[in-house]
Amino acid sequence: MTEAIYEAIGAVLTRWTMGSAGAPAAPVWRAELGDDPAEAELRLLALSGQFLGVAVTTEPASALHVMPDIPTLSLPTVPEALRPLTRQILAAQKESQAKSELVRFLAARGWTTHPADWMPAAGDDDAPDLYAAWRDWAEIASSNGTVRRQTSDRLTADNFADFWPAARKAALAELRRHDPSAARTVLQEKLAGENADARLRLLSVLSDRLSDDDVAFLEGIAANDRAPKVKALAVSLLARLGRGDAVGENVAELAGFFSVRTKGMLRRSRVIEAVPLKTPAQWRRREALFDDVDLASFATALGVTPNELIAAWDWKVDQAADMALISMIASTATDAQVSQAAEAISERDATGLIAALAPRLAPDERARHAVTGLNMHGIGFELVQRIAGAAARLDDPLSAPAGKELLAALQTEDAKPSDQVRDLFALGLITSREGARGSLQRLTGAGLLQGDPRLNMLRLNAALDDRGVRS
Amino acid sequence: MFVLPRYILAALDSIWETGVAIDLKAVEQLATDQSSLKAAAGLAKPAKWSGVGASPDGALIWGECAGSGANPYRVMADLRDLGNKCTCPSRKFPCKHVLGLLWLNAEAIVPFTAADTPAWVSDWLGRRRGVSAVKPAGNMAPSAEKDLRAARASEPQMAEDPKDAARREARAARRTEETERVILDALDALEQWIGDQLRMGLSGFIDDATARCRRIAARLVDGKAAVLAGRIDELPARLLALPAGDRPRGAVVELGKLVLLARAFRASPRDAAIRRAVAASETRDTMLADAQALRIDALWEVLAEQTQTRRDGLVSQTTWLLNLAAVGPRFAMLLDFFPASAGRRGSVFNPGERFHGELVFYPSRQPLRAVLVRRNAMEETVIPEWPEPDQTLADALTRPLLAEPWTIDIPLLLSQGRIARDDAGQTWWRSADGLATLPVASEVDGVLCGTDLTRTAAIWSGNRLTILAAQTPWGRVGSRD
Repeated sequence: MTEAIYEAIGAVLTRWTMGSAGAPAAPVWRAELGDDPAEAELRLLALSGQFLGVAVTTEPASALHVMPDIPTLSLPTVPEALRPLTRQILAAQKESQAKSELVRFLAARGWTTHPADWMPAAGDDDAPDLYAAWRDWAEIASSNGTVRRQTSDRLTADNFADFWPAARKAALAELRRHDPSAARTVLQEKLAGENADARLRLLSVLSDRLSDDDVAFLEGIAANDRAPKVKALAVSLLARLGRGDAVGENVAELAGFFSVRTKGMLRRSRVIEAVPLKTPAQWRRREALFDDVDLASFATALGVTPNELIAAWDWKVDQAADMALISMIASTATDAQVSQAAEAISERDATGLIAALAPRLAPDERARHAVTGLNMHGIGFELVQRIAGAAARLDDPLSAPAGKELLAALQTEDAKPSDQVRDLFALGLITSREGARGSLQRLTGAGLLQGDPRLNMLRLNAALDDRGVRS
Repeated sequence: MFVLPRYILAALDSIWETGVAIDLKAVEQLATDQSSLKAAAGLAKPAKWSGVGASPDGALIWGECAGSGANPYRVMADLRDLGNKCTCPSRKFPCKHVLGLLWLNAEAIVPFTAADTPAWVSDWLGRRRGVSAVKPAGNMAPSAEKDLRAARASEPQMAEDPKDAARREARAARRTEETERVILDALDALEQWIGDQLRMGLSGFIDDATARCRRIAARLVDGKAAVLAGRIDELPARLLALPAGDRPRGAVVELGKLVLLARAFRASPRDAAIRRAVAASETRDTMLADAQALRIDALWEVLAEQTQTRRDGLVSQTTWLLNLAAVGPRFAMLLDFFPASAGRRGSVFNPGERFHGELVFYPSRQPLRAVLVRRNAMEETVIPEWPEPDQTLADALTRPLLAEPWTIDIPLLLSQGRIARDDAGQTWWRSADGLATLPVASEVDGVLCGTDLTRTAAIWSGNRLTILAAQTPWGRVGSRD
């Protein structure tokens, strides 16, 4: 009976699709359908619909593939009790940058997100290396690709292909930290086989523990790589080793925008001052030249050493020139010169500029400059957070001038519940667990409700066990 | 959201100084009219409320109030300025539920236990405008004189004359018969229309389904078959959700169900489940008064909430619950409708939350739709796992259709399985033994497709599976996580 119905249903469907009567094609139900043609069609429709709904299910047309398991990361996921709070914070952040800050904060405190709450996309280069396995899982998911051998071995040129891209970069960074020359050797053998974006990502790993041993390899990349952005990175890394381009027309032209003069009667010292600019075209030209020139070449063109240039720079007079020089230092100066520049601008009360140098500073230097900026120079929590990074654990930021300003702003008569959202979020990121508890007490004492969602980041910080490694 | 005008805020200052959160005079001033105040007095009773709480600083209060729908309303207020919010669709601000909550607080009718602020209250706080955004006081002034004493007074119960009662019952019986006759006429028109679709060809019907369904739905609304009209209005959306090649089959199933439902109504026009599928649902009060209705007191887990804006201008809000106890229907569905023009309505439950509560099920051969009678605080420290599926997959898929063939959504509890994809990228749920595969209606991503699904709660509809939530080695994962 069932087989007969199956056979009939196909023909009935075809007839109805075209607008013909279906009953003549269903002799198996002749008795049930009766003699009235209109009634027979409705009865057949009821029977066919029920049969198709109950007895027929779709079968896959091809073999099925399952995704591999989402890997377990090296750090535990946020405790179950704090997941709702974590989700609320993630949902409130419209920008991926803010989400990334939370993820980095969690990593610094020894935790990861739950994969149901947040997972990085395959191309999310901002995600900490900790999440490399999830990024690769996301790539497998989106590509429907076959799974390469999972490996936890040390990266070598031989097993290079066994790693998915994010895990490979994380393994290379790990190798670079422990054995810089081995990491370079892997790149020497395998870099050419990658596409330009991958080459750029992998080559950037050399910025850690950069040394003269890397010069020959980088010179080869700078001379021969096919992609301009990869070449530019190699040139930038070489500049950080004092191997910038020789003095050329651009360097001389840039130096022409500045003057070196001597000042002081008793203690003679040199000052590098910007020549006043008269037209917008001059401003644009100077900005473009800064992008093309490295610190060592610029200093040579001015007739000073890079250290002398940093010491003699007349900070806080021409802000555009200050910012351009800081960018030049961040991309082409040695680690020592970057530290020197950070000290110099901190002494001159231009702490905000340190944010641009922060990624090249050691964690303890970042924390020191952040604290100095907060307490001595009155910078705000957002800037402190950018300078200090995810590892910050400030004990009492609310007592700093920025904290007092924040408390005053929250207590003004026209304060709105949507005010100071970014400041309070940044405060939650930079403070220690104890500091977060103290801040919550003071803020609720100042009139904020305990359930105020602006306090969510502080609440998470206060409740989260700090399992992170401290530098 | 409603924020109190400054003239009332000033009046509240003295109240604050004495440490009392609010007094009844403020509730009276806040009410827009006497009827709101009267309704609030009726709601200021412990039995109407659950989950009542306050922030430790006493500034925020909240609670869940049983309204006229299946789901309770979430009500919250900030006692500092009497800003408030309720998830009910009322156009009055503040609504009677807010006034009821404030009344409860003012007279300490129930204890407002200090607790962590729920996420739904925090969300509201984050979206609130500040006091500076208050409308001019003139716009917010009370629109009518109100009197607390009159609001408290109960209506005298008038004894009904037996003759009046008999006449009323006779009128009701005539109305029922008249309604049935009108519905039967409408169902005749529906069957005629279905026959026309077959004669003109399902190919053309699928291409023009929206307009054609709209026309017959309008006829059914006139014929007092409003529920059936809403179903037909949504038919094109269900068809278009299917792959193009599967739409003729889908059309036959959908239209076939309509024929079966129309015939079932002709055979049993007074059958409650059939009448509910065609004309109208029983009210909450009718359900609560029905001594024969199935009542289940159990531990429930909120699986998911589905909100859909329909073509008839209503928004349907469906909450799916899983019964974690050993007895009673495995699933319950709380269904409410409100006008789309009432704006976005907050969620009533959080997916994953569990509560003890009593549900009363609408009479049916397959009890599923219910209203929440009472919700208790969660006390257990031992959290039970999801139960094993209590029937085979084949039975779970077919039994509801054999009992009520016009059923559209069938909730399923699936045993261990995993998400898989075919070469074309179509998503499937596959049982751990590989013997059963079900097509999944929409793309599944994230953790659900990268782990074993120990148990899966899903809706089987239109030969496609919609996953609501699953238990996994990563814990409970919802489809929207």
